[in-house]
Amino acid sequence: MFLVVLACKNLTRYKRRTVITAVTIAIGLMLFILIDSILIGVDRESVRNLLWYETSSVRIMATGYWEDRLMLPLDVSIDDPYAKVRLLREQGYDATPRIMFAADLILYSEDFGEDGNLPVRVTAVDTTLDNTVFRFEDTLLEGRFAESGKNELVIGSWMAEDLQAEVGYWVTLVTRGNGGFFEAMDMQIVGIVNCPNPNVNRSLLMVPIDTIADYLAMENLATEIDISLPESADVDIEAQAITRLMAESGNSATVMTWKDLAGDYLAMMQAERGGSSTMLFLVFLIAAVGISNTMLMVINERTRELGMMRALGMDDRSIHWLFMLEAGGIGLLGSSIGVALGMLANIYIVQEGLDFGFFMREMDMAYRVQGIFRGAWSLRSILTTFFSGIFLSMLVAWIPTRRAIKMDIPSCLRHQ
Amino acid sequence: MIQVQNVIRNYKTGETVVKALKGVSLDIGDGEFLSIAGPSGSGKTTLLNLIGCIDALDGGEITIEGQPVSGMDKKAKTEFRRNNLGFIFQTYNLIPVLSAFENVSFVLSILNIPEKEIEERTMRILKEVGLEGMENRRPDRLSGGQQQRIAIARALVKNPKIVLADEPTANLDSKTGEEILKLMKEMNRKYHTTFIFSTHDSMVMDYAKRLVLLHDGQIVSDERR
Repeated sequence: MFLVVLACKNLTRYKRRTVITAVTIAIGLMLFILIDSILIGVDRESVRNLLWYETSSVRIMATGYWEDRLMLPLDVSIDDPYAKVRLLREQGYDATPRIMFAADLILYSEDFGEDGNLPVRVTAVDTTLDNTVFRFEDTLLEGRFAESGKNELVIGSWMAEDLQAEVGYWVTLVTRGNGGFFEAMDMQIVGIVNCPNPNVNRSLLMVPIDTIADYLAMENLATEIDISLPESADVDIEAQAITRLMAESGNSATVMTWKDLAGDYLAMMQAERGGSSTMLFLVFLIAAVGISNTMLMVINERTRELGMMRALGMDDRSIHWLFMLEAGGIGLLGSSIGVALGMLANIYIVQEGLDFGFFMREMDMAYRVQGIFRGAWSLRSILTTFFSGIFLSMLVAWIPTRRAIKMDIPSCLRHQ
Repeated sequence: MIQVQNVIRNYKTGETVVKALKGVSLDIGDGEFLSIAGPSGSGKTTLLNLIGCIDALDGGEITIEGQPVSGMDKKAKTEFRRNNLGFIFQTYNLIPVLSAFENVSFVLSILNIPEKEIEERTMRILKEVGLEGMENRRPDRLSGGQQQRIAIARALVKNPKIVLADEPTANLDSKTGEEILKLMKEMNRKYHTTFIFSTHDSMVMDYAKRLVLLHDGQIVSDERR
């Protein structure tokens, strides 16, 4: 108890120094809380946007499709997809078939001002079932969704901006059908969607699956079946259950989770976690240097006092604790201020967010967030930061104290 | 009580070896009021430090209450000092953020004495050294003499067998210094505590019941009064 009282009183001895060191720690921890909050928020939103607009939770593909996925082959496809969708729905899974194919998008001068073409990836969707798995229904910026059996196309807003496309314009999709024949399909743009996933906004071309099936000889075929799962579901366990279900019904298929499908995103998240750890290390390093320097000065100024206490019989362990408690007190002060300021600033970050739209529009950063980066509350992260600040402060006091204790008592008592 | 036998202590400063004590021998009995006197550099403080178990011997032996000091490790010396020795320093060495009461009572805190007893003993000793009513004052609000009284109270509060004082009056004016010596002598008489103090002040030497004169690390006279 005496050590705690003395440590607390000693904190008031060098008020300015205590405050400066605490503020250094506070600024570091505050910045960490904010950056960590943004990263957590962006991560959560990215995952949500991946599931809702890009990958769904689980995808079924024909065996061998994944290996050739970059070619978007039509001949490696799922037979009788609707039978499988029915089977899945009977088991409580929301599922929808899709056909993905590569095409050349031909633009005409009548609508676009000049002729041109560009390679695109087209998603053919079931106009009824797709919205039970994906969430495009609220993303319509202009026009309407494509209707079943019609030559209609919905385009992502950023792509529309880049092409200066408008609702009512005609384009032609030129591709090879199932079997290798060439096919050209005239399509009218009927809608523009602006969804929160920038990858989708940048590249989406959505057409009705039955229209495409006719053109490309894909009747009763699909390149994938997408399945959505509730947020609480364990995606790996459900993927295993779906694999078993497919096998039991005599269907050979590859079942992959969104984690497999969004490898680029997860790789970036992993790198980001590494970056986050490095940043945490740097923040703590700065705090550690600050507090270590403070404790060095404190111990240097109080060497004679240290000698007196040792002469009177205070053991090394108690002296270590005394200085560690003092450093812990500075850490507690800095952590409290840092966490309080960090949480205050985080209210704004969570509610309003930071607008990185200018940045995200031009760059593909793998984040599935369109522009505004919103933070998220993580009690665990805040508590970890708080206690780390205190613990680290105590830890770095160990070294200078140890050095002082190594000095013999007469030298301590002579110290000026 | 204390046997100092042929004690040698050398200090190395760069290439030079300074022989601070050159085979000092001395017997000190219970309840003595002994002054170790001599000019600067004669080895007074070194001898006090060795008796106080805060410095290491290069030769010879010091035995306190039958325990040879050279046989003790660091931990044992710390424990020995905590239980048996009191120290008074020339510059008082009080903790500036603690009150007079806390500066004295912390010595009992590290002995794990119950709080109530700590309070009783601290108040009693502060009263005895003439600081009643000043127990809540911090050192910066006390005079040099009053600060040294706190140091004396701190040294005596645990009822040590021996109190070692290194030039206890050197930072005080002669009148206050005399008061401090009178107080130390009274405590010596009252508690039968052995006081060993170093000085080079002739007035202080006059108060000693036994005067040991050191010169160049050797005892040149040992006079009982």
